[in-house]
Amino acid sequence: MKMNRVPVLGALTSMSDAQQKRVTFLGIAIALAIAYPFIEQIFGLRLQTKLIPVLLFIVLALGLNVVVGFAGLLDLGYAAFFAIGAYTVAFLTSSDSPFAFVDTAPVNFWIAMVAAAVVAALFGVLLGAPTLRLRGDYLAIVTLGFGEIVPLVIRNTPELTKGVQGMKPIGFPELPGLRWGIATEPWYFLVLGILLLSVFLTGRLRASRIGRAWMAIREDEVAAASMGINPVTTKLFAFSLGASFSGFAGSVWAGYLQVISPEQFDFSVSIFVLLMIVLGGMGNIPGVIAGGLLLGGFDRVLSDFVSDMLRGVGNTFAIDALRDADISRARTLIFGTALVILMLVRPEGILPSARVKAELHAAEEDETEAAQQRSELFESQR
Amino acid sequence: MTKRIPRLLAILTALAFVASACAGGGLPGGGGGGTIKVVSSLPMQGASLGQTQTMVNAFKMAFEEINYKVGNFTIEFEALDDATPARQNWDTAKEAENARKAVDDKRIVAYMGTYNSGAAAVSIPILCQANLAMISPANTYPGLTKKGAPGIEPSEPDKYYPGGCKRNYSRVVPADDLQGAVGARWMKELGVSGGVYILHDNELYGKGLADVFRAEAKNQNLKEVGYEGAPKADNFRTLANKVAASGADWVYYSGLTANNGGFLLRDLKAAKSSIKFMSVDGVAESEFITQAGAAAEGQYITFGGIPASAYTGKPKEWADKYKAKYGGNPEVYTIYSYETAKVVIAAIQKAGDKAADRATIRDLIMGTKDFEGVLGQKWSFNAEGDTTITTMAGMIIKNKDFIFSKELK
Amino acid sequence: MGSRPCVLSEVGGRAMQVVCPGGSGELIAAGLVIGLSNGALIALIAIGYTLVYGIIELINFSHGDLFMLGTFVALTVLAALGFDQNTSPTPWLALVAALVVAMIFCGILNVLAERIAYRRLRNAPRLAPLISAIGVSFIYINVGLFWRGPTPITFPDLLPNFDFVEAITGTQSLIRFNAKDAFVVGMAIPLMVALGWVIKNTKMGKAMRAVAQDREAALQMGVDVDRVISFTFLLGGLLAGAAALMHGLYNGNTVFTLGFTAGLKAFTAAVLGGIGNVTGAALGGVLLGLLGAMTVTCYGGEWENVGVFSLLVIILVFRPTGLLGEQTPERG
Repeated sequence: MKMNRVPVLGALTSMSDAQQKRVTFLGIAIALAIAYPFIEQIFGLRLQTKLIPVLLFIVLALGLNVVVGFAGLLDLGYAAFFAIGAYTVAFLTSSDSPFAFVDTAPVNFWIAMVAAAVVAALFGVLLGAPTLRLRGDYLAIVTLGFGEIVPLVIRNTPELTKGVQGMKPIGFPELPGLRWGIATEPWYFLVLGILLLSVFLTGRLRASRIGRAWMAIREDEVAAASMGINPVTTKLFAFSLGASFSGFAGSVWAGYLQVISPEQFDFSVSIFVLLMIVLGGMGNIPGVIAGGLLLGGFDRVLSDFVSDMLRGVGNTFAIDALRDADISRARTLIFGTALVILMLVRPEGILPSARVKAELHAAEEDETEAAQQRSELFESQR
Repeated sequence: MTKRIPRLLAILTALAFVASACAGGGLPGGGGGGTIKVVSSLPMQGASLGQTQTMVNAFKMAFEEINYKVGNFTIEFEALDDATPARQNWDTAKEAENARKAVDDKRIVAYMGTYNSGAAAVSIPILCQANLAMISPANTYPGLTKKGAPGIEPSEPDKYYPGGCKRNYSRVVPADDLQGAVGARWMKELGVSGGVYILHDNELYGKGLADVFRAEAKNQNLKEVGYEGAPKADNFRTLANKVAASGADWVYYSGLTANNGGFLLRDLKAAKSSIKFMSVDGVAESEFITQAGAAAEGQYITFGGIPASAYTGKPKEWADKYKAKYGGNPEVYTIYSYETAKVVIAAIQKAGDKAADRATIRDLIMGTKDFEGVLGQKWSFNAEGDTTITTMAGMIIKNKDFIFSKELK
Repeated sequence: MGSRPCVLSEVGGRAMQVVCPGGSGELIAAGLVIGLSNGALIALIAIGYTLVYGIIELINFSHGDLFMLGTFVALTVLAALGFDQNTSPTPWLALVAALVVAMIFCGILNVLAERIAYRRLRNAPRLAPLISAIGVSFIYINVGLFWRGPTPITFPDLLPNFDFVEAITGTQSLIRFNAKDAFVVGMAIPLMVALGWVIKNTKMGKAMRAVAQDREAALQMGVDVDRVISFTFLLGGLLAGAAALMHGLYNGNTVFTLGFTAGLKAFTAAVLGGIGNVTGAALGGVLLGLLGAMTVTCYGGEWENVGVFSLLVIILVFRPTGLLGEQTPERG
């Protein structure tokens, strides 16, 4: 069946070309990212405080990508694990902690970060074990319910969590010779480092045995099970691994912001992260990063910039409607429209996974391309 | 496919360049001159907007009067928003990010705000470590500055100044250890028969104030029949039933309009029409009366300072100027915002060539003595950053307006 | 002998203290009445979820926000007719006008949303239309924000303040069943009965049931599936519009974020009753309203949604078919 297609040799050379390009661009991107604080200092850009949350949210998106993109489990309560990680760190390092010992001897922040990831993973197992056998959209709603319950419980137990007032100040990491509290650069490099590590880790996972098992389950659970893959433990692993990413990111978020409160972890956060994946291309790591940069960049950098510009135009030409322009107020409208259009026009996202597409192409030649892309992106359990 | 990422990065960087070119700031001033910046951080969305908009007007008014110039320095002013579209109220993350942004922009020498005490608790520690002065026209929670005040935690206020950083926070309004206490005494004067049911909105400000009131009510032998959190909700009908069942003839509510305090009053009145309601400066804005409707008539509000409708002399002159410039009436915190900006300007003037140095500005603001602005009396900051003014007003709502009733002590 | 009931009642009282620390008998009874009215509202919205799910297995995420827009439309109509202030004799005609306009608006908008955002995805994998529905929900929310601003808006108090319990017993107590409760319950029941009749007896209703059971087969039997699905969205929208006016008059306020929690509650009710089952949704709505009111009475308002969402998770885990749901082949 495949004989009449592109010669193998040609495919190989073109592959290595693409790979060469890929390595070059990756190198440039990393170099740029590392050099950014220095570029900023020279030109006085003041964007670092905006970039740090963007990068951290990409870490979140990479974690959610394991759950949604690799294993095909729609998680609408991802922010709950983010909250659990953040509150774990706060419990271990903040003077607002309910544990008395923390006041005198706060736990080292690096250790607290690891604890946050572990605790979040535990909660992932606790929630996942009874629910992962549910069908896709039911699982989505269960996770959504969980995502609502966690911030509500935090809000309603001020004896433990200080409720809506939030826990503050949180501890911060220390390295010899570096003052982390309010300095921006160390946080930038920490988050960038975590991001690069996450890219590496999720990339390796995807290529590993377990990664292939996730994709097999995503495609056809019954077939995968008959091939000897245990669907429950495989799914559970993806779910709790995603949760631990979220918890880890939560610990960094808490340390960076120095204050956490329940409303930082509401439904819109879960949706925002999901949107990054859907926009970029589920299951594809470069796609997720692109989606994260686009959305985060829009949210934190571009919307301010465009709003400022519109206001400038309004002031210059005396257009009253533009004087108080604020794009961020149309945020949900823009996101909502983007979601609908994306689903209708290009459900695979802007950068769909090329490799999986090629694999699929070889496997199911008779299907149309669109159908293939969709079936790789979503579970199809009908 | 992957080549799009660097392209994206390049686009982002290019955008950043454009942004910086537009912002066009000079270098932070060494020697004499340059641009320095003052920011404010208030919730610019939601129920407080009616109030905060006038506060930003007042900031701008003060800076416009000096043409945004002090000596060789040009002052830039930016009003940051600490509310989010989703919450329609101040938000911890947004406030923390505002503070971080201010720390990161080396041109910024003073941070005016916040509106909500809970928000101040977030930004004080961050700004303190950067030697950045923070001055609020509206925070009233005692624990931000005062050690050992009623209703605060033992770790307060020290935990807001981590690592023993030098005090950077001051406020031009009197704190709630006064407001809660005068409220209890006023209620005693007005007469309590069935008892008082104390409600608060669970926030730092609301709960703190409720605790102060509770302590003084006990001293005054007011009968307490209930004490409970009433966090933001669509309606408070079940809670109102509970209050009615308790036999209370008074409700003391310390909370915010943004947490639907007006709807609470409406439901309380519907459950028991004879109930009397006393509340605090957190609801002293016109939106509260809109929420409560007819139920607002005749209810009691305490407030630190004097409301605009009772201004005489210097404050009255200022209020007339404000009205002429912006059309509408100033809200209760508008004049304090103007005073706040004036204090900052005075510090910058005094600093002379060192106006770009954060620590200098901080020390000058904290050391404000015998200041004569538009409040109609000379005042100073004490060592903790609290004002020496202790005037408190009791107001009664009449014809949909807050009418000054008496000065409370 | 004589002391026995006394001991029993004491034990009962103690047990109640543990289960429901915040409530006394009278408060619980008062809460139940409030819960009944709230439940009737939830039920109307829940039916919209269950109808759509029953026929195309889509969780129509935007339904709650459609309801929110409905409250805005109802208020706008009342304002246009000059009844945005409290007036003493109830302007029944204006209320009917607001009801009809809100119902038609929600019905048509729901049909349009299906036509634009869901129809093309009908054969796509299940998560695509769900994500699309989340997108539509976001659009509605922002439209609501732009339209009436971020602050809660007060509804005029138009219904008479007449308490049936007081009229019958002659004493004023906390247990009140007033004109507002009567209005909500008295409107919800006929609407649900009418819906049941439409589904059971009309040709369109039969077609709906056929499509719900097997779309392919219905298509082959000559049923216009597209029209039937549009009709289903229309019905759901009509009920949401009716619920919108009722919510406004009953609770007295609305805000652009109203739809999210209202929608989740209604969805929970639909799942509780057995999703796809109209009677189940009505039952689930009432039960959920009662549960919510009890949580508020016993543990305080801040725990209401925790109770609701915990129930949602528990049902989905232990009995995904709900109380009245049936095990259908494709729902295995």
